[in-house]
Amino acid sequence: MRLLVVEDDLAIQEFLTRALTEAGYRVDGASNAKKALELANEEVYDGFIIDLGLPDMDGLDLIGRCRAQGHAAPVLILSARRSVDERVRGLERGGDDYLTKPFALAELLARLRNLLRRSVPPQSEAVRLRVADLELDLVRREARRGTELLQLTTQEFALLEYLVQNVGRVVTRTMILDRVWRMRIDPATNVVDVQIYRLRNKVDADARHPLIHTIRGVGYVLKEA
Amino acid sequence: MFLRKPKPKGSSAAWRIAIWPTVAFALGSAVAFAIMYLLIARDIRARSDAWLSGETEVLADVSRNTPRDALYDRLVEEVAELASREVPEASDSQGQHRNAVFFLQTEPRQEPIWVGPNPKERFLQAIQRAQLVPGVPAEVQVPGWGRTFRVVYHAYSNGGGLYLGFADVGGAQMLDRLTERCLMVWGATVALGFVITWLAAYRTLMRVERISVTVSRIGSQDLSSRLPEGPHFDEISRLSRTFNRMLDRIQSSVHQMRILTDSVAHDLKSPVTSIRGGLEVALSDGSQGPWRERVAEAIDGLDRLSQLLNTTLDLAEADAGALQIRKEPISLSALVQQMVELYQPAMAEHKHEVLTDFQPILIEADVSLLNRTIANLLDNEIAHLPPGCRINISVRARNGEAELLVEDNGPGFPPGLDSRAFERFVKGQHSAGHGLGLAFVEAAVHAHGGKAQVVDRGGGAAIVLTLPLVEVLSEKVGR
Repeated sequence: MRLLVVEDDLAIQEFLTRALTEAGYRVDGASNAKKALELANEEVYDGFIIDLGLPDMDGLDLIGRCRAQGHAAPVLILSARRSVDERVRGLERGGDDYLTKPFALAELLARLRNLLRRSVPPQSEAVRLRVADLELDLVRREARRGTELLQLTTQEFALLEYLVQNVGRVVTRTMILDRVWRMRIDPATNVVDVQIYRLRNKVDADARHPLIHTIRGVGYVLKEA
Repeated sequence: MFLRKPKPKGSSAAWRIAIWPTVAFALGSAVAFAIMYLLIARDIRARSDAWLSGETEVLADVSRNTPRDALYDRLVEEVAELASREVPEASDSQGQHRNAVFFLQTEPRQEPIWVGPNPKERFLQAIQRAQLVPGVPAEVQVPGWGRTFRVVYHAYSNGGGLYLGFADVGGAQMLDRLTERCLMVWGATVALGFVITWLAAYRTLMRVERISVTVSRIGSQDLSSRLPEGPHFDEISRLSRTFNRMLDRIQSSVHQMRILTDSVAHDLKSPVTSIRGGLEVALSDGSQGPWRERVAEAIDGLDRLSQLLNTTLDLAEADAGALQIRKEPISLSALVQQMVELYQPAMAEHKHEVLTDFQPILIEADVSLLNRTIANLLDNEIAHLPPGCRINISVRARNGEAELLVEDNGPGFPPGLDSRAFERFVKGQHSAGHGLGLAFVEAAVHAHGGKAQVVDRGGGAAIVLTLPLVEVLSEKVGR
């Protein structure tokens, strides 16, 4: 997968390039719209990451130009604005996505994955999910650890389902709030941590092989040992 | 045409505007009618006086030139009868309600000659009492006779005299009919005048009302639309123009404000983003060591910093009336319910008991702003309550508004702080927050056209948010 990162702040461009390369993408960088359009016409990209505050052109205009020139690859918009304006929401509905700065790398990677997956045909929906001896029945909304049926609330099941779907990948608090509770908020208290803590008490009750792990400063991950 | 226009909420000033011109018009036209009445009445009287004087002259002439023989009385009576027949309807048998004429001639040492209604005694007494001046028509009121008589007295040289009286009932009836019609016309004209004035005032005020409706809509939602200025250049068009110029200035300063906060946000967040990214890359390489905890703490610190930054910029925008909101109809009860479910485990962790009472109500609000508002309120409870408190959260419709109440039985606001709870950077002595949480709550609620209040409910802290209500939904939910 080849990506073009359009970001005028070189420090951000650099760490994005590094993180995305580590995640297995081939990454090109552009620090202005002119350079970005040149590169887009020379190469074929699977996705774009575009900062809205470019020195020579508004990011949204750049996206418009790219679309007009036939580049249909999905765009992840980076914005310094905290309340994202109407035009960006419009793009979101059009299939692209946005992230406000500062963002967690894990979230950027997750959104990028989602965006790029949209361009390939969706896989058939699984009815059961299984990680180690944890099994989720998505139809009956039941979870079992080994043979034991876990007593989970609706919310806890949704949270566990989200973690299992992202098995092995780090999810942040913001991502959990966005995907499980459908809220883009930033609580000042540890509400998400407590939710995870409670879920962990049920899922990892025997604690010999805990599945839910905390990665301080980053987020949570569900994985085998 | 005016029927299609929206009915203004509350009372209209059109009544007050219409009532004074109507009163003035009613008084003016009443005076005009009164003057007309007096002129006509004077004309009628002058006409009957002229007739009386003329007839008196004729009768006196006849009396002077007729020899005083046996036929004298007869002749004078005949002439008087003839004269009275000149008056229309005088001979009608209906009496008092018709025109009436009397003739009286007195001579010394002779019986007076009387031609007229009988009995004559009360007429004679009335005439004697009237003390008439020769040649000048005067009013004589005859007891038991409905109408006043105009009487002319002609004095003879021999001490006798001639009296001719005429009660112009026809003229009086004409005046009565005139008065009656005048009153009807006057009443109708005044009523019509009132209706026309009211309609004119109403139509004008509806233009003002449209301006006020449009301006309030523009103020709360969208700064780009303008009032129609219309083809005329009257006061109301000028008002529209003035509002439009004002909106231009507001829009431009809001735009400036957004550019400013955007550039501040960009300039401050770019370094935070790159530092945070760098730290996260460091954490992701998998190597272990005590430095990981320090890096994690630094990331937490940066997150708090950007949260503070966001709230500060939001408040700055809210102060300038530039907070962007995108309203949509949502169920306030469902939204609060969902947020309470998210916070419930954290509340339980602090041994707080949460009681909810939700009436399903629909409001129009920006979901993301309202979510942050409610999250701030609940964060505030967690941050400031000692363990083991009870928190009541209720949503209901009250006095036509949506009301969200969050109250607890904790220690309440520190003394002197309750009135300043929504001010920026105001916080309790032991508060770990930045003191912007409740300030944001108030700003967000204001942006929705509502208000946030600290209410005294005797012990504990209680915050009430009121928001414009759209509709009360039927089904009752809650626990």
